[in-house]
Amino acid sequence: MDCPGRLRSVARVLAAALGTTLTIAACGGGGGGAAPTPTGGRVDLTWFMWSGTPQEADAWKTVAGMVTQQYPNIHVEFTTASFPDYWTKFQAEAASGTLPCLISLQSLRTAGFANNFRPLTPFIQKDHFDVGAFDKSIIGGLTFDKNLRALPYDFGPYVIYYNRDMFEQNHLPLPTNEWTYREFLTDAHALTTGGKYGFMAWTGPEQFLPFVLSSGGSYLKNGKLDFTNPAVQKAFGDYVALATKERVAPPLPATPNSTYAQEQWMAGNAAMLISGPWSVINFKANAKFRFGIVPFPRPADKSITLSAGSGFGISNTCQHPDEAWKALTVMTGPEAEKFLASAGRAFAARTAAQQYWYQVAGPDLQTPLQVALKTAVPYQTTPQWQQVSTLLQRYMVAAINGQMSPSDALDQVQSQAGG
Amino acid sequence: MPALAREQALPAGVARPRRRRARREGLTAFGFLLPNGLGFLLFTLVPIVTSLALSFFAWPLTSSPTFVGADNYVTLLTRDRVFHQVLFNTLYYVFVYVPLNLVVSLGLAVWLSGRVRGANLFRVLFFLPVVTPMVANALVWSLMYQPREGLFDWLLAAVHLPGPNWLGSFEWAMPSVIAMSVWAGFGYNLMVFTAGLRAIPRDLYDAAAVDGATRWQQFWRVTLPLLTPSLFFALVLTLISSFQVFTQPYVLTGGGPADRTTTLVLSMFDNAFQFYRMGYASAIAWFLFVLIMLVTATQFLSQRRWVHYDL
Repeated sequence: MDCPGRLRSVARVLAAALGTTLTIAACGGGGGGAAPTPTGGRVDLTWFMWSGTPQEADAWKTVAGMVTQQYPNIHVEFTTASFPDYWTKFQAEAASGTLPCLISLQSLRTAGFANNFRPLTPFIQKDHFDVGAFDKSIIGGLTFDKNLRALPYDFGPYVIYYNRDMFEQNHLPLPTNEWTYREFLTDAHALTTGGKYGFMAWTGPEQFLPFVLSSGGSYLKNGKLDFTNPAVQKAFGDYVALATKERVAPPLPATPNSTYAQEQWMAGNAAMLISGPWSVINFKANAKFRFGIVPFPRPADKSITLSAGSGFGISNTCQHPDEAWKALTVMTGPEAEKFLASAGRAFAARTAAQQYWYQVAGPDLQTPLQVALKTAVPYQTTPQWQQVSTLLQRYMVAAINGQMSPSDALDQVQSQAGG
Repeated sequence: MPALAREQALPAGVARPRRRRARREGLTAFGFLLPNGLGFLLFTLVPIVTSLALSFFAWPLTSSPTFVGADNYVTLLTRDRVFHQVLFNTLYYVFVYVPLNLVVSLGLAVWLSGRVRGANLFRVLFFLPVVTPMVANALVWSLMYQPREGLFDWLLAAVHLPGPNWLGSFEWAMPSVIAMSVWAGFGYNLMVFTAGLRAIPRDLYDAAAVDGATRWQQFWRVTLPLLTPSLFFALVLTLISSFQVFTQPYVLTGGGPADRTTTLVLSMFDNAFQFYRMGYASAIAWFLFVLIMLVTATQFLSQRRWVHYDL
């Protein structure tokens, strides 16, 4: 070319365009971690965790700060997304190998996401770390392939919440920690009056799986979904019948709003609801009545519930695993657990820190929760559990509204998500 | 472009200075187009081609993709019973929503083109839902559809009528989604038709009136034929967007009850971001693309029969 001036201007245009693109691409997310630094030097770790409110995010930032207090060379930067977005972003970052060092795991997703988490057993053995300080069932829930993948910070068994005012207005004795399914049904009938319902039926596996376990059945077979077995069919059928036959639960709209049932219960439209201890803070703030909790009613001689929770782990692309492990022990350490529990944010996975939660949430919750925990089992799932939940959300509504037989609804879920 | 073509036909010696200038202009144009072109390439063309390639793979996102040939398409068209339901839902939505939208927007546009007090205020009101985010529209409607406490049940209760389970029953879920969509969407076509109506010369109506045509006859013989270009435009765009419906079922029903309101795009979203089956989701995307392309092509081919561009 004979015109260098023009060439330069073309090059400038190209550079500008390319620069813009690169800047946009660079905003796509944090990297997997810088090159290893010499021991004792400053190490920056990024921690990815879901949160719903600014207050929640602030609590996590305080926890991140505790790491630097204990290990001045380790700095933890907190990054966050809403709960559903967390998993989408997690997947995208895992696919591109850019997961941050510290990542968070919910026990229902252990089977689906465990492969992105570095097994913690070697660290535990090296440090003689005391896993026994945590509740057994949540350690089980975060374990995959015989290896613990994350240290838990909170957990909880599914229990039944009841509207104490409604029980008293209907002159019913309050449910006991050893109540039977028959008593539950009698109460539900007595409470179904004047446009109110005794029980808030809802969609999701945890709504009926405790009944499956309590009757001695199982919903998994060799780690795969087994929704066609008779115990599941029976428990699901009984659950659906609460709305279709017993008429103690209201018909439902199809909705993606996961808190619809809780809103109905808090509005006093139904007397009983299934949820975990993580809901207490919200209910205390928003329900205009007194409430209590009880374990699931016994269909026969025992009541077994599921326990689920969350924790933090190390991504397997992390370049500073030793520092990340140190950070983990602080983030789930006694001090952090006390802080989270006394703010009412987490029913502590460390048994010793649970007392602080009871002080805020209510001492009357202690006995029923302890009773439920005694027989609680880890909430085991399949890698397709998200699909199981989504499908149940759609098909349980049809069954509860009486437009689809319970066995057809289960067959649909099994055939689509059973693989 | 025609200027360039003419230059190329000239002898080389004559053309040189002009060609050089043309080349410089071409380079400048290229420079201006480059940022947008690169954006299109990176964020549109590359993903489109990638998704086509992906549709021949099974890819659970966290592990590496495996080539499965046409398996995704075969499963989609033959084995996946839910997909057949999803396809039916989408067609149900399209065939009810599109005519309703056109009738409502055309009817109101014609009404407002007469001597109506505060016609412009009405136009603004009708257009408001179009500029409101669809998620907000759908959330408000989901409150109105609530059993017992919702607006619709409350109104029905006032006249002692029981309301159906708007979002929970097989019979009502899709009609409820469609009703909300028509409310949120007709304002756009209303504007298109208003503009079209204004372009029709008044004297045609005067002539028709002199010939003794009634209002009704004027509408069928004058207004409608002269509005066919606007109608065609509205039909094509509304059809395309309604095949792609996602937000309304996603926010109102989440696809339930029992997948009765799961549409093609919602199913694509489920497969990609809930079930992490990227290859299968890509196959659904390409199925939808071909479907929309066929429908649009058919419309363009048929327009010769019913669209009148000459006044």
